[in-house]
Amino acid sequence: MLTVDGISVARGRTDVLRDISFTLAPGRTLAVVGESGAGKSTLIAAVLGLVALSKGDITWMNRPVRHCRPALVMQEPRSAFNPALTLHRSVMEPLRAGRLPGDPVRLTRLCDGLELLPDLLERRPSEVSIGQAQRIGILRALIATPPLVLFDEPLSALDAVTQKHTARLIADLQREEGFAALIVTHDLGYAAAYADEIAVLQAGQIAEMGPAQDFVTSPKTAYGLTLREAAFALGALEHVA
Amino acid sequence: MTIIATGLSAARSGRIILHTTDVEIRRGERIGLVGASGSGKSTLGHALIDSLRAQGASVAHVPQSPDEALDPLRSMAFHWREAEQALGLALDPSRKQKLFAALRIEDGDLRKRPWGWSRGMQQRFVIAMALIGTPDLLVMDEPTSALDPVVAAGMMDLLDRYLSDRRTALLLITHDLGLAAARVLRLMVMAEGRIVEDAPTPDLLRVPRTEAARSLCAHRNWLALPC
Amino acid sequence: MRVILSLLLRAAVVLAGTALATFTLLWHAPGDPALAIALARFRSVVPDAVIEQVRVEAGFDAGFWPAFLSWLGPILLGDFGQSSVTGRDVWPELVTAMSYTFPLALSGLAIGVALSIPLALLATRHPGGWLDRFAVALASIGVAIPQFWLGLLLILLFAVQLGWLPAMGARTPTHLILPALTLGLTVSASLTRILRSGILEARGRPFLPAFRRRGVSEAHLTRNHIAPHAAIPVVTVFGLELAFLLEGVVMVEVIFARPGLGIFLVGAIEARDFPKVQAVVILAALLFVTVNLLIDLLYQVIDPRIGDRDA
Repeated sequence: MLTVDGISVARGRTDVLRDISFTLAPGRTLAVVGESGAGKSTLIAAVLGLVALSKGDITWMNRPVRHCRPALVMQEPRSAFNPALTLHRSVMEPLRAGRLPGDPVRLTRLCDGLELLPDLLERRPSEVSIGQAQRIGILRALIATPPLVLFDEPLSALDAVTQKHTARLIADLQREEGFAALIVTHDLGYAAAYADEIAVLQAGQIAEMGPAQDFVTSPKTAYGLTLREAAFALGALEHVA
Repeated sequence: MTIIATGLSAARSGRIILHTTDVEIRRGERIGLVGASGSGKSTLGHALIDSLRAQGASVAHVPQSPDEALDPLRSMAFHWREAEQALGLALDPSRKQKLFAALRIEDGDLRKRPWGWSRGMQQRFVIAMALIGTPDLLVMDEPTSALDPVVAAGMMDLLDRYLSDRRTALLLITHDLGLAAARVLRLMVMAEGRIVEDAPTPDLLRVPRTEAARSLCAHRNWLALPC
Repeated sequence: MRVILSLLLRAAVVLAGTALATFTLLWHAPGDPALAIALARFRSVVPDAVIEQVRVEAGFDAGFWPAFLSWLGPILLGDFGQSSVTGRDVWPELVTAMSYTFPLALSGLAIGVALSIPLALLATRHPGGWLDRFAVALASIGVAIPQFWLGLLLILLFAVQLGWLPAMGARTPTHLILPALTLGLTVSASLTRILRSGILEARGRPFLPAFRRRGVSEAHLTRNHIAPHAAIPVVTVFGLELAFLLEGVVMVEVIFARPGLGIFLVGAIEARDFPKVQAVVILAALLFVTVNLLIDLLYQVIDPRIGDRDA
């Protein structure tokens, strides 16, 4: 279980994150929504231990998060790979880093689940489509069986059809693998459809947090309402509510 | 007046990326041009602009991100003056005021350079610039994808209100059928360099006839997906 | 305003650092400076007492920091002292040397700019075309050729073979032509490369297509949008280029026997004439800091984002 306990992150004299607390159990999905600059990316960096906390503590099963070797899926799929290496080498990197043995059966199973043909991995990042690159990014994140996976805007570089397709593949894999997923996104439609809980981040604080369905039908704060209205105006929520 | 462009086509390194296409847009109409990435939407948009320009029609274009529309070294005032001069218009403070009020950028400091403004305001400034000459057609290429949803929705609402009683037609190019369906009354679906379907929005959503339109319709919904 | 203040502060720190570094180097230089001075002055075997006298005269006996302060004080007031060899004031000699060096540096720079701008514009008309490749090749060769060799070639051609121009000395303005040309050709080579890539990069800026679609004319686009973006790398490199220019001036002056700062410095080093060496080093540092300060101020005009990342 991921426990984020009253953390703050300061940059200069201002707090980028202030008094953030939540828990996330294995197999569950928490979506963090909010606009640019609200602190979403800082939250991911904080969970990964990449920024210093000025207050509070983040643990996985009562130990520092890095012991569970969390994985990260980034927004820009192509630039997340070393362009000089084959994708296969990049995918295997988490195993090398953790000195873990490779498991061909697991690789094949994940490739099946992500609808990737194995020979695609012999190519280089520039030789696959963006959608394929993002699925390979997810493959790399999952290869070492992490109990916690962080997704930073995982779908926003993809087109609408590919987005929904990829979201479904992620959800199916999560059901099989049982990892906890922390998804940072600005797409309320995605959050509402796939997350168990939604946390609204505003100016570094959690404005409201609760079950996804409750948020879509009746946001508790004015800001939550604004986010919901915007999602409706852009056609992202139509069929959910 | 109806805008008509015929025989639009385009090729890149010997491959046809836009097959010969005709487009007809009525005055003040709002159309969505939707399709997967790589289907030729943007290419059609550019070909349409070039063709209409050649006919002498006035067409304005708003790119996806303000970074693609503003020079970071020049002030907002410089951009505005330049846009007016490019259209051969005399400087007109009242026109500027009206557009700035409509797009809610009256408070922006024109002496600042683009990065001194928020991205949402930059984007609305770009739209205001595009509307200076009251164009016959405004082409917007993925106008929301570089913005936060709240900012993007606000921008689309302001634009809707401004265009509602004017003759300027809108062509909204997007990969997101959900966005287009919420914003326009007529949809054109593109696939592999062709317009494969052209229908009023409710009809297309109810009975998509082509494979491309069916895929877009099915994936408009975040929950129910075909297996 | 805060930016300008911090720039000035930075310039002052750099100058103070240079002064300290110069003095430290002289302090720890191999060989006894007092002995060198005494030898240079008397040109024969010198008794120890004379060396000691020289040491006290120069303030070398009091330890590092007192010596540094007694060294720095007069310099701050613009007094570079007397030559430890001839005993004459350094400043008038330095002014004479500069009166030969500055015309050379400026005309070399002018030739470099005058050659590189048209060359870069021609080259970028058709990137990758034969003219472009020719210009790039020419510039690469120009950067690679050492100045002493280029200078000798020019002397061979124009002074020895054709007999059109004088090769040595600085008596008449025609004496300036060959050294200025040597310097100018080298400067133009590197400047052409920078200008060319600056122009190409500026032409690839992502906002330009939108300006064209807005109906902005190509001439207006070049003047008001491409040129400023192309200028940024040029301005940046110009500050660095100054170091090469100074280095080149020293080299070229020695080749053409021109009694400027180059000869002044080389002579001073050979004679271990510390006050003269110090004067040149501090002058060069002052020049360097001033030019870079001007460049930073120029950035504030062209693109305030540079150097203002906190805002």
